[in-house]
Amino acid sequence: MKKTMYISLLLAGCVLGIMLALQFRSSTSSVPHDRPQELTQELKQLEQDYQILQAEAADLENSLKQLEQGSSQTYEVLQNELQKLRFAAGLEEVTGPGVEVVMDNMPEKERSGYDPSVFSITYEDILRLVNELRAAGAKAISINGQRLVATSEIRNAGKFIDVNLTRLTTPYTIKAIGDPEKLASSLNIKGGIVDTLKEWSISVTVTPKEEITVPAYTNPLDFYYAKPLKEGEDE
Amino acid sequence: MWFGTILAAVGLFLGLFIGLKVPIVLPESYAPYLGLAVLAALDSVFGGIRAGMEDHFDNTVFLSGFFANALFAAGLAYIGERLGVPLSTAAVVAFGVRLFQNLAIIRRHLLKK
Repeated sequence: MKKTMYISLLLAGCVLGIMLALQFRSSTSSVPHDRPQELTQELKQLEQDYQILQAEAADLENSLKQLEQGSSQTYEVLQNELQKLRFAAGLEEVTGPGVEVVMDNMPEKERSGYDPSVFSITYEDILRLVNELRAAGAKAISINGQRLVATSEIRNAGKFIDVNLTRLTTPYTIKAIGDPEKLASSLNIKGGIVDTLKEWSISVTVTPKEEITVPAYTNPLDFYYAKPLKEGEDE
Repeated sequence: MWFGTILAAVGLFLGLFIGLKVPIVLPESYAPYLGLAVLAALDSVFGGIRAGMEDHFDNTVFLSGFFANALFAAGLAYIGERLGVPLSTAAVVAFGVRLFQNLAIIRRHLLKK
């Protein structure tokens, strides 16, 4: 009787000890047992938040797209305007129908006995020619690859002619874009510039062309002294 | 009697030692059930001590009560969990009350001597 009691006491103590130890070990490992529920709730909340935020993001993206569309339209308009202005200012290479005029001095052998400078091309000849071309509606003009812009000059520099501060030599090739027939006829008109130049023994050939390319103005554009005057700003 | 107490303490330490050495980690979700089982077992032990002091200790009653109470408490907690009713609270309250009653009676017996 006593013996079985001791055995049972030992057994009960042992089992209790094991249970206590297991419980102790399991509960010391930090995570409380209702953590999954908490996490589930949190997850649900987060999912909800996520959905709300996603809707918001879609909304914002939409408005961004609209804004982008608006801005791209403005950008296009500005780009068009810029292109036009660049075109007008001569900063773009342009092609189109036009005429090519080649002016050259007569070979020196053929004009022996004269002072060669009398019969050579002067800047005035070129100026007059350009003037005629402009009057006939030329849109873009270049001389030996120098595009004529608002600040271009045509002037004598000793034996040469300066255009855009670049020294040019004969033969002078003047390209002008415009109505080829009109341009050619304005030059070739009787008593016109071609006749006059030929009288001065200068060879001039005018060739209308279907397609002609006038290069862009490449020199730097600096306006050191000029400042734009804004509207309503009187000085 | 004292030999029995010493034996029970030895058993307890042996169990603690085994429990700490055994490479089993109880899954987190079973912790409350084991806790209830421990509570029930403690109640049985104190009930046994009290019975021993009152000289009507029955080995069979003690052992059966020890295991049955522990298993039943854990099972009740499990069922409560399934049903969504906090039955574990009932077990905690019942065993807790009995534990304190037993302790009080043991205290009185010790003081009377």
